[in-house]
Amino acid sequence: MTDERRNLPIVDDPASDLDTGTPASWIVTRVDAVVNWSRRNSLWPMPLGTACCAIEMMASAGSKYDIARFGAERFSFSPRQADLMIVAGRVSYKMAPILRRIWDQMPQPKWCISMGACASSGGMFDNYTIVQGIDQIVPVDVYVPGCPPRPESLLYGLMMIQEKIKGESLSNPVHREESPEAVGLPNLPPEAIELVAQPFGNSTRQNRISGVEPTSAVSRPRDRRERLLEHQD
Amino acid sequence: MSSSLTLPLPDLVIGSEPPADAEQSPSVKALRSRFGDAIRAVRMDPVGTPVISMEPGRIHEALQFLKADPDQAYDLLLDVMGADPGGELVIQVWYQLWSMKHGRMLRLLASLPRSGLSIRSAVDLYATANWLEREVYDMYGVHFENHPDLRRILMPENYDEGFPLRKDFPLRGRFARSEQVKRALNRSTEDVYAREELALAGLLDDEAIAPGPDTVDEDEDHLEGEKMVINMGPQHPATHGVLRLVLQLDGETVVRCIPHIGYLHTGFEKTCEYREWNQVIPYTDRMDYLAPMLYNIGYVLGVESLLGVEVTPRCRVVRVILSELNRILGHLLWLGTGAMDIGATTVFLYTFQERERIYNLHEAYCGGRITTSVTRVGGMVADLPVGWLEACREFVERLPKTLDECDRLLTRNSIWQSRMIDIGVIDAEAAIDLGLTGPNLRGSGVAYDVRKARPYLGYDEYDFDIPVGKVGDTYDRYLVRLEEMRQSVRILLQALDSVPDGPINVSDPAVILPDKSEAMSSIDAMISHFKLVMEGLQVPAGDVWYSIEATKGELGFGLISDGGSKPVRCRFRGPSFVNLASLPHMVEGGLVSDVIACNASIDIVLGEIDR
Repeated sequence: MTDERRNLPIVDDPASDLDTGTPASWIVTRVDAVVNWSRRNSLWPMPLGTACCAIEMMASAGSKYDIARFGAERFSFSPRQADLMIVAGRVSYKMAPILRRIWDQMPQPKWCISMGACASSGGMFDNYTIVQGIDQIVPVDVYVPGCPPRPESLLYGLMMIQEKIKGESLSNPVHREESPEAVGLPNLPPEAIELVAQPFGNSTRQNRISGVEPTSAVSRPRDRRERLLEHQD
Repeated sequence: MSSSLTLPLPDLVIGSEPPADAEQSPSVKALRSRFGDAIRAVRMDPVGTPVISMEPGRIHEALQFLKADPDQAYDLLLDVMGADPGGELVIQVWYQLWSMKHGRMLRLLASLPRSGLSIRSAVDLYATANWLEREVYDMYGVHFENHPDLRRILMPENYDEGFPLRKDFPLRGRFARSEQVKRALNRSTEDVYAREELALAGLLDDEAIAPGPDTVDEDEDHLEGEKMVINMGPQHPATHGVLRLVLQLDGETVVRCIPHIGYLHTGFEKTCEYREWNQVIPYTDRMDYLAPMLYNIGYVLGVESLLGVEVTPRCRVVRVILSELNRILGHLLWLGTGAMDIGATTVFLYTFQERERIYNLHEAYCGGRITTSVTRVGGMVADLPVGWLEACREFVERLPKTLDECDRLLTRNSIWQSRMIDIGVIDAEAAIDLGLTGPNLRGSGVAYDVRKARPYLGYDEYDFDIPVGKVGDTYDRYLVRLEEMRQSVRILLQALDSVPDGPINVSDPAVILPDKSEAMSSIDAMISHFKLVMEGLQVPAGDVWYSIEATKGELGFGLISDGGSKPVRCRFRGPSFVNLASLPHMVEGGLVSDVIACNASIDIVLGEIDR
């Protein structure tokens, strides 16, 4: 490295000054660590706000809660420039194909937060028009409970997404699996939809059919889907 | 520049004293003399509105007479409500009329036999009937003859499970859930275009429906006459929810605007028929989540009028305080998001700061920020906590500072003015014809406010003014709402000074749960506690259409009870539903960029539009 290059303010590790007296111009890390670090700290949410939860989502963008602290203040109203879909509010069957289409339009990598009781399970609307949980339509990474969840809850959900991204690896293709044949189709098979959408609020039903599972257990949606199918066999 | 106060102010619309009995009403007398043979029954509802049951075939004629006759002058059609009273016989259609000139309300009822669900449309008399009748068609399958555009409005257009609000329609739909998901996703998003829109886009083969072929001479500019159809929403940052607009453009100019709603249809009215009277209250929060307590309060006022219960003086004042706080809450959201739509982001941050302060007051009172559910039939969920009134006063006293700040930022801002002045003009006559209410109507210069016209909760005891605009453009609607917040501050200061002591709930054991300690010590209290919990509140058979002034306009509750513990019909007349129907009137002929400003100025909330 030439002397002129050394004077440029590129990556400069002050710690090396102490040892050698010369600034280091490079660091060593894993690609995964850098990629995940940049992904999780600059999430661009696609706010699919439909109802009350959208107001709390707006409140989290306000100055008191300030979602910008987590690097996620750049709300992208175009699905093609977004990587985190936040479904805030109830989704009707009329809205379902649009929700699915927006999800299909988002490029990988992408994540989904289901914000609030209605998006997660239909909430208090177990009727002819409301989808009983958006995981029947799109895969969900984090469910944020509440009716509506407070902005703090949404931020916690966002931090859970960040935790999840931390554990991902470019060499592991499982996260990015997306078949073109699945575009526009339900996310769950019909039997599983029948099970999660049983009357009496599907959240109780999900616990019951998923076997003995304490509420504190770490449960990812993928586990839940597999367990539902196991129950069928 | 601003709505000047030098012009003579329009007369305030004041309601007349309800007649002692229905037959004394001048409208009933006039109808009796002209349509005597068509009148089946006449009675009075609990709020003193005459209800006239007529032959369905003569309803249109009667409406025509009631609108045209200067002694009646029922110029505002507030609501067209369908109802299925159960049984095999009839579907009802209710018309709710209001006369600005005479300050009178009237309800007409047509009972249609199930074998002939058909009635003449009132669209030729009242433009507002268009969407209201479409909703009745969508929910009950009533066919309105001569309706220009009778198709489903809330449900998808090719929905094939039936008419949801009929009693024989199951709450969870006819098909299995997996089938519903499958059908919903199979429904391509393009399927929902109406034939009319396909015709606009030139995608329809049927020449009979398509507009005349473009007769463009080769000599002329070949772009002239070429129209473009664009789709805005349902996922769009400036539609304030999941509203979809189909716009036909000629260059930058909007030629046609067709709003599509129903993407947030939540089935409130159906679900509430399966809930007890008090259990409906949590649902009311979620219709207007921008000002939830107004819905809470309006609904229980309706039920209380059916029950004949008068709340305590303390409760009345507390409800006024909460109503006005929520009016400010709703208007602040409108101001912040409306300004953001036009490009002024700062205002959003200012108004959300104030909203957080109101949320803190909500939380201190009931624990919830948005979904408050504060009222109960006969009172409130609890008395105000210690120190709440002082905290509220502190907020109210500092709010005008923020309002002045927003005022300074916006009112004389040249960008703001050029985006709003003379945009989306609606004159007074058109506004009434379109059924606008609330700040939208007052922006057009009609001084009609339910708080003054038919005072409830003792609003006549407070000293406040009704701001009105003079042009009816977007700017006037902005000024009216800004001033309304200041008037709400005035009301709040008066109310906070006059909160009486005493119980917050009525002491009627048939309505309100007894105190817990009393229920544990007295057998009477325990029995009434048990009965209320197990059987639910019993509301005497009857029907009422009760309305209050919500942030967005006249919020009506059409309630029908058969004497049981659940409503037979729970109709919510969301003001935004009717107000939104005026959007094409505002934007057609304007620029496409003004669509955003107009839509923001109507102040809609999709929760109450789609219900």
